[in-house]
Amino acid sequence: MADLINSTKKFFRKIGTVIKTFFWNIRRVLNNIKKRIGKFLDKHNLNFASKFPGWAKALLYLSPALIVLAIFTFWPIINAFALVVYENYNMTTDTITGYTVFGNFITVLTDESFIVPASHTGSSAVINTLIIVFISVPVSVLLALFISAALNSIKPLKGFFQTIYFLPYVTNTIAIGLVFAYMFKADGGLVNEFLSFFGVQSDGLSWVESGAVYWRSMFVLIFYSIWSTLAFKIMVFLTSIQGIDKQYYQAAAIDATPRSKIFSRITVPLISPMIFYILVTSVIGAFKIYNSIVALFGTSGAPAGVDYNLQSIVMYIYQFIDGSNAGNLSVAAAGSLILFAIILVLTLVQMQVSKKRVHY
Amino acid sequence: MNKQLFDKSNKIEKWALFVDFLFIVLYITLFFALFKILQLPIDEETGEVALGLLQYINPEYTILGNQLYLTLGAEADTFITVNLLISMLVLYALVAVPMFFINLKKVRTRTIYEVDSYAAGSKFFQGMINLLSFNPISFVLRVWNMFILVKFVKGYNVKEFFKSIGPAIKAFFKKLFTKKEKEKFGDADEYSVSIKKSIRRQNAAQVLRLTFTYVFLIIMALIIVIPFYWMIVTSLKDFSGANSSNPEFFISISRMNWINYKVVLTELNFGLYIRNTVIVALFSTAGTVLTTILAAYAFARIEFKGRELLFSILIMTMMIPGELYIITNFITVSKNGFGWIGTDNNNYFLAMILPFITSISYIFFLRQAFKQVPDSLYKAARVDGCSDFKFLMRVMVPIASPTIFTITILNVFGSWNAYIWPRIITGIGGEEGQQFWLISNALRDTGFALDTGEVMYNLQIAASTIVTVPLLIVFFMFRKYIMNGIGRSGTKG
Repeated sequence: MADLINSTKKFFRKIGTVIKTFFWNIRRVLNNIKKRIGKFLDKHNLNFASKFPGWAKALLYLSPALIVLAIFTFWPIINAFALVVYENYNMTTDTITGYTVFGNFITVLTDESFIVPASHTGSSAVINTLIIVFISVPVSVLLALFISAALNSIKPLKGFFQTIYFLPYVTNTIAIGLVFAYMFKADGGLVNEFLSFFGVQSDGLSWVESGAVYWRSMFVLIFYSIWSTLAFKIMVFLTSIQGIDKQYYQAAAIDATPRSKIFSRITVPLISPMIFYILVTSVIGAFKIYNSIVALFGTSGAPAGVDYNLQSIVMYIYQFIDGSNAGNLSVAAAGSLILFAIILVLTLVQMQVSKKRVHY
Repeated sequence: MNKQLFDKSNKIEKWALFVDFLFIVLYITLFFALFKILQLPIDEETGEVALGLLQYINPEYTILGNQLYLTLGAEADTFITVNLLISMLVLYALVAVPMFFINLKKVRTRTIYEVDSYAAGSKFFQGMINLLSFNPISFVLRVWNMFILVKFVKGYNVKEFFKSIGPAIKAFFKKLFTKKEKEKFGDADEYSVSIKKSIRRQNAAQVLRLTFTYVFLIIMALIIVIPFYWMIVTSLKDFSGANSSNPEFFISISRMNWINYKVVLTELNFGLYIRNTVIVALFSTAGTVLTTILAAYAFARIEFKGRELLFSILIMTMMIPGELYIITNFITVSKNGFGWIGTDNNNYFLAMILPFITSISYIFFLRQAFKQVPDSLYKAARVDGCSDFKFLMRVMVPIASPTIFTITILNVFGSWNAYIWPRIITGIGGEEGQQFWLISNALRDTGFALDTGEVMYNLQIAASTIVTVPLLIVFFMFRKYIMNGIGRSGTKG
């Protein structure tokens, strides 16, 4: 038996060596050819590869990215400015009726569902977006700060909690949005059950369905956007809190500094650059809110059968591509340029503030 | 230290792991076999699948000669149903797979110095779990292993071990008791008493603070977890259970309707949509990684005129909102541009993948990682005749591999989440475009409503679960890398 095993082992080893030598031989031959070609090129002064200037080599490395970026990033920017000056651009026939400088911008700005709400809509895209931004961003940043400070102060179960708080980051926005809409169902939704458990009269209280009041459906939207963006903020804050030098805390402990003061005088100032960064990115992110609205209320952006609308600026823009007003892309381009201007101004303002307020 | 005993214990553990692996394969094959024989409800008049009938039928299956019903109902006289069998298999797999991987890691990294009496205890605990999941072979192996570990740590034989249990418990209680006594009758020095009192006060404050912290964290964790729990529970309910006005918070495992998933995957075409999404995610991620590595290398290492200028132009375009691109890219890929969509020969995949095979923010992110590689490495490699490309592949990529991994994961998550661009692309194609829906579009736009107008929430939420669970599995597999990478990066994909 042992002989048999040994001989089979030997056999396979032999086959292995044969295969290995075969490949080594191929490699040797290829290397030989390479060497000969190199020698030949050197002899006739043809070896361009070694004389490649820096920019040519860089171009070689950059070209895949740059070609894609040129087609799908730089050209669209130019194209957007071209689109804005078209009057009545028709996508299917690729024709225009004339040129206009501010016409499309005026169309957007005077639209009764963009800035100033009309009497029959009761809400506008800009007002909705501003409400979302000014409630969800401060609440979520503060909550994330408290949670990450709390996480940093405990030892057992820290990894467990960290993993749980991270879960919303790795989900599909639409999928969990549908679950939220189901949880806020009027009849037999989890939230209404929970409220009636505490004695609140909530039978058939409508949150996201027909008959929902503006503030109630807005609450669900803000709650969901906070829920889904919290994970990332907690992660970033926790990483930067863990990076703080322990000496500060030791010094504070010797002076018997109260916890609240340690938080407000050491932790927050030392991670203020990160807080500021998160503030900027989350304001921009909140301005571009779209998927959550679609997940909760569908592409119409409002609960069925209500007279208001919950659409954001981005949703307003997209309705010109595939919504109720599909086709007029010039207006959409004008809207997106206005959004760009808002974001640019906000970023500049925050940069100015950060110069004065942010430590370091 | 008895090396022989340690080696023997490791050997037994390896065999137990092998048996575990066989059982995991068994659970999964049985699960798929049972899942396959589940029948979709068929309307007898038209001969087509009718989802409205889903909750009214309770077909009978013959499994290994036994007549079993699908779920508990008026006809069923035993507790055992097909749904119960499937639930048990899923439960076993959920317990066995993480245990297998944790043990595998332990066996490979454990050294002789780490073995203590807790290791023996945990072996026994794992054996009990094995027994509960109908795996007697691993149970026997693990208990045997426990005795060997006991001998290794304490030097007890099997007999001695059982004899030593009683005195050990007695000693434990005695220790607890004496400790309390000591605290009561400390030394009566007045000064030390006052110090002790203040320490006790501080300890009480700390306990209060910790309790408060934990309560806060647990409440927040519940808010995070409950949607996931509710999603999974609802996806396993039947139609009337999901639409009732008094929903049950728990669901018994013999009532779990696994057929919901089968309906969603086959009848509602989510299998196809998941395949589409995987194709888009794979190709766009492969493209992104390739182009960003090359571009980041050029920006980090190669000296050329106008490098900083080009890079700052790229950074500036990051501020422009993506909505602007989407409008004009739509024109680019449609009839008046490349003609990938809206023409006679459509190519939806090309239109969905190509715009996303590079990303400026990832180039920026990876360039930071490449910049941290010291210059001396590059110079040394050049002296040894290493070409730029070889240096990139052999040195830079391995060093920056955590960053590259983060980019990959973020990009996959991004593709899994993509909604608006695929919606616009496939929306123009009508019926044909529907074959190219990605999961997000399918979730939003599939009609889950019955003819009566009622929405089948159990199927809708089951679809959400099918979309969410693969992401969660990937997350739990690479938890550490993902969390560290995202914490460090400070960028969102």
